[in-house]
Amino acid sequence: MQGLIEFIEISLTGLGMGGLYALTGVAFVLIYKATRVINLAIGEMLMVGAYLFFGLAAGLALPWWLAILFALAGGGLLGLLLERAVIRPMLGENPISVFMVTIGLGSILVGLVELIWTADPRRLPQFLPDEPIFLGPVFVFPEPFWSFVIAAAVIGVFVLLFRYWRGGVALRATALDQGAAYAMGINVPRVYALAWMLAGMIAAGAGMLLGSIAGLSPALALFGLTVLVVVIVGGLDSVPGVLLAGILIGWIESLAGSYLGGEYEHLVTFALLLVVLLVRPWGLFGTPEVERL
Amino acid sequence: MRIGSPKQSYAADEALFRTPTQWTWFGILLVSLALYPFMADQYWLYLACLISINIISATGLNILTGYTGQVSLGQAAFMGVGAYTVAWLDTHTGAPFFVNLLAGAGMATVAGVIFGLPSLRVKGLYLAIATIAASFILQFVFINWESVTRGMRGMNIDPPQVMGTALADPDQFYWLVVPIMVVMVLGAANLFRTRIGRAFIAIRDRDISASVLGIHLPTYKLMSFAIASFYAGMAGGLWAYFFGAINPESFPLLMSIFLLAAIIVGGMGTILGGILGAIFMTLTPEALRYGVDLLSPFIEDASVILSPVRTMVFGLLIVGFLLFEPHGLAEIWRRVRRFFHLWPFRN
Amino acid sequence: MSGYKQIAVLLVLLGMLFSGVVVAEEEKPKEIVLGASVPMTGPFAFAGIQLNAGLNDFVDWVNEQGGIEGHRVRYIGEDTGYQTDQSVAVFRRITSRADVNFYFGDSTAFQQTINRELERRDILLTGASFASELNDPERYPLQFMLGPDYSEQVGMLLEYIAEETPGASVMLIHSDTEFGRDPIRAARERAEALGLEIAGTIVTPPGASDISAEALKLRRAGPDYAIFHGYVLSPIPEFIRRARQMRLETKFMGTFYTMDQTMIDEMGEAAEGFMGVMPYRYFYDESGPAPIMDVIREINDEYRTNTYVQGWLTGLLMKTIAGETLRAGKALTGSNMRETLDSLEDIDTGGIFGQPVNFRGNSIPLGRIYRADVEAGRMVPVSDWIELE
Repeated sequence: MQGLIEFIEISLTGLGMGGLYALTGVAFVLIYKATRVINLAIGEMLMVGAYLFFGLAAGLALPWWLAILFALAGGGLLGLLLERAVIRPMLGENPISVFMVTIGLGSILVGLVELIWTADPRRLPQFLPDEPIFLGPVFVFPEPFWSFVIAAAVIGVFVLLFRYWRGGVALRATALDQGAAYAMGINVPRVYALAWMLAGMIAAGAGMLLGSIAGLSPALALFGLTVLVVVIVGGLDSVPGVLLAGILIGWIESLAGSYLGGEYEHLVTFALLLVVLLVRPWGLFGTPEVERL
Repeated sequence: MRIGSPKQSYAADEALFRTPTQWTWFGILLVSLALYPFMADQYWLYLACLISINIISATGLNILTGYTGQVSLGQAAFMGVGAYTVAWLDTHTGAPFFVNLLAGAGMATVAGVIFGLPSLRVKGLYLAIATIAASFILQFVFINWESVTRGMRGMNIDPPQVMGTALADPDQFYWLVVPIMVVMVLGAANLFRTRIGRAFIAIRDRDISASVLGIHLPTYKLMSFAIASFYAGMAGGLWAYFFGAINPESFPLLMSIFLLAAIIVGGMGTILGGILGAIFMTLTPEALRYGVDLLSPFIEDASVILSPVRTMVFGLLIVGFLLFEPHGLAEIWRRVRRFFHLWPFRN
Repeated sequence: MSGYKQIAVLLVLLGMLFSGVVVAEEEKPKEIVLGASVPMTGPFAFAGIQLNAGLNDFVDWVNEQGGIEGHRVRYIGEDTGYQTDQSVAVFRRITSRADVNFYFGDSTAFQQTINRELERRDILLTGASFASELNDPERYPLQFMLGPDYSEQVGMLLEYIAEETPGASVMLIHSDTEFGRDPIRAARERAEALGLEIAGTIVTPPGASDISAEALKLRRAGPDYAIFHGYVLSPIPEFIRRARQMRLETKFMGTFYTMDQTMIDEMGEAAEGFMGVMPYRYFYDESGPAPIMDVIREINDEYRTNTYVQGWLTGLLMKTIAGETLRAGKALTGSNMRETLDSLEDIDTGGIFGQPVNFRGNSIPLGRIYRADVEAGRMVPVSDWIELE
C-alpha cells in the first residue's frame, strides 16, 4: 500500500514536468506544422521568456502579473522577429540548413542573455501557490501541480483556437496544403509569422513556469533537448501526439529519477528516443513519410 | 591570367592537382608548414596543433555530412571514444603511441557504425537527432563505466614518446599532429576520386537515384559513418595526447555543434571547406580576444563580456553564413582564385 | 563582395595567423609573475570576478608595501568562461609571454589537465578547485589548495552533526557532475566512523529540472540532516521549499561555493537556518585580531564575497612561500617553492583563517560551521574552528 501511494506520488510529480513538456512541445509542433522548421532554439526561447520575466519582475519591480503579461508579449515579439529576420529568408532552403540556423539562433540568444543578465544563478519571484495539495493520502507538491494545471489550461485554449478561430483555421489549412491555402486567399507569410509569434508566447510562458520550479540560469535552455525528444516520440506534426508524449516522458523521467537515480533521467529519455527512431521514426501519431527506399 | 586547362584523360580530370601551378602552391604550403615552428612562439604553435586536430575531425564530419548528406551531431562523442581508448591503452598497456592512435580510431569506427545504424532507418533531421541521442548515451558510458574510464575523475595520458623524446610541448607535438593531418586530409581528398567517394556524393544528391544506380545504401551509409568516426577517433586520440588529460566533460555536445559549424562556415562538401572552417572557427575567439583587449581602455571590465560575445558571434557566424554565403569560405576562396585567374579582366 | 574586399579579408586572416610570430618578451628583473585562468564569465562568473578583483587588490597592496623581498609582483589574469579548453589556452598564452612563477587555476578539470605542464615548466599552482582528487602530493606535487578539500568540508559537517546529534541520519544530495560526486565516497566512510547513519544519496540530473521526485525521496527517508554538494544555488532553495511543504524537520547544509552571503541572500526565506562549512572569515566578522581582514575592510567599503577573500589568500600564501624561498636563497621555481611549502608550519594568514594553518597533503583541513540568520543578513558561527586530522 505504501509502495502504491509512493508510486502515485512520484507519477503525479512527473505529470508536472510532463505538462511543461507538452506545452513546449505544442509550441514546437506549431512551428513545424506551419513552416516545416525544426526549431532547436525552442529551449533558448523559453529561457529568454524566463529571463524577461525576471528582468521585469525583479529588475523593474513590476507586479508579477504585469511582468508575466509583458514577458509573454516579449516572447511573442521575439518569435516574430526571428521569423521575419532569419527564418523567412531561409524558406525553401535545405531543411538541414534551416535546422542549423536555429542552432545558431539558440547560441545568439544564450549570448544575449548572458550579456544582459550574466550567467549567475538567480531565483524567479514565486507566483505559484505554496500550499501542498493532498488527494486523499497522496501528497502532491504545489509547483508541479499548478504548472500542470496552467499548462493544461493553456493547451486547452490553443486547441479551441485551432478549431474555431479564423487564424487557427488558416494555420491548419496552411499546414495541410500550402498551395491550396494560398489559392483560398490565405496570407501564408502572415500565417508563418502568426505561428512563430504564438510559439514564442507559449515558450515564454513555459519558461516562466519552469524557472519558478527549477530556478533560473542559462542552463534552462537544455530543457529544449528533452522537448525535442518529446516531439519526435509524439510525432513532429501531431498535437495529440506531443501531448501524450510529453506526459509520458515526464512520467518516465520521474520514475527513472526516483527508482534509478537522477543520473539516469536523460539516459532513459534518449534511449527511448533511439528506440522510437529505429522502430517508428515518425513517432506515435505523426504522419509517416511516403518515400520509401 | 590563365586560359583553359585542357585534360586529355579521365585520370587527369580527377587528379587532385591539375596544373604545375597547383603543385607549386602545394609545395609552398608544405614548406611553410615545415618552417612555421621555427617562427612562431609556443602559443601560436599550440593554436596550430589545436587547429590541426580540429581540421582532422571537421574533415571527417565533412565526409559524412558534406559529402554523404548524413547530418551528425555526434562527432565529438566519437572523438571521446578515440580519446578514451588511447587513454586506456596508454595507462594499461604502454603500447607505442601510433598503435594507440590507430586503436582509438578503430574503436571510434566501431562506435560510429553502431550509432550509424539509425541512418539505415531515418535520415535528415531525424538522423541528426538520433546522433544527439548517441552522444548523450556515450557520455553516460564515459561517466559511469568507472572501471575503464575512471568516471568523473578523468584519465591522465603521458605524452607520446618518439625515440626517447616525449612530444610534450606544442613545438614538438606539432611534428606529430601536422603530418597526420596532412595525410588524413589528402586521404579524404583522394577518397572522392574513388568509387566509394562518388557513391557518397550520389547518396547525398539523391539517395533513391543512387540506389537505382546500384549503390547499396546501407553499406555505403555505414561506410561513411565509419570513415567519419575514424577521423573523429584519430582526432580524439591526438586531443588526449595533446592535452594530457580527459574527462567525460571534455567532449560535450557543444563541440559537435562547433565542428558542424566549422564545416558550414568553411563550406560543406569541399575538402578545403573543412580546413578553412576549422582554422576560422578556432581563430575567431582569438580575434575576439584581441578586439576585447583593444576595447578594454574604453569599457570597464571588458573581459567580462568576452564569453557572451563569443557565444553570440558563434551563433551569428552560423546564421550569417547560412543566410548569405551558404557555400562557405571555400566559395569565397574560389571566387578570389577566379579573380586572379581572369585578371586583368573583370569576372 | 568584390574581389578586392575578399582579398582584404584573406589578408586579415593571414595576418592573424602570423601575428604571433613576432612577439618576443624582454625579461624584467626582479619580478614575480602570478598568472591566472579566471572564470570571469559563465556559470562561475560570480566567483571569478571576485577572485580577479581580490588578486588585483592584493597585488596593488603588496607592491605598495614594497613587493616580496624587493620583487615586484605582476598579475596577469584572463577570462576562461569556465571552459577547460579556454583555461588551457589562457595558460599557454600567459606562460609563453611571461616567465610565470605562480599560477591560479579555475577548475578541477583544468588543474588535472595542466598538471603535466606544471611539472615541466616548474610552476606552482593553486586554484579554485577543492577536489579531493587533487589532494594528493604524489600525483599533484606542484599544486596546493586554498582550504579543505570537498571530502574534508563534508567531513567537518559530519563531525559537527555527530557532536550536535549523535547517531543522526544524513542524506547526501549532489549533482551528477565531477564536482558533485567528489566527496560522496569519503563522506560515507567518515559517517560510519562517526556513528552516523547515511540515509541515502540523491543525485540530481544536470541542467535545470524539477526536483520534486527527488524531494519525495527526502520525505521517505526523513533524515535529520541533508548535505548539498556540487551546487551553487539551484536546486538548493527549491529542495528546502519542498521540504518545508512536506513539513520535514531536516536541517540543510552546504559547502564552500554555496556559502557566500550573496548566495544565501539569493535563497531568500529558504535560507533561514541553512548551515554550512566555510574556511575563511566573512567580510563582516570582526571577532578576534585579523590584520589582513582589516586591510580588506579598509580598501572596500561594501561587503566583499568569500571568493574575493580567496583571492587575497592566494596572494598571501604566495607571498609567504615566495618570501621564504627567496630568503633561503633559492630560485622561485615550482619545486623549490613546494619544498618551502612543505617546511612551513603554523602559517599566519592575517586572520583570514581563524588560526594559523598547516598543510596536510595539498589541503588546509581547517574550517568552521556557520548558520544563516536571514533577518540579520549574516552567517553566524555555530562551531569553533575545526581542524581535521
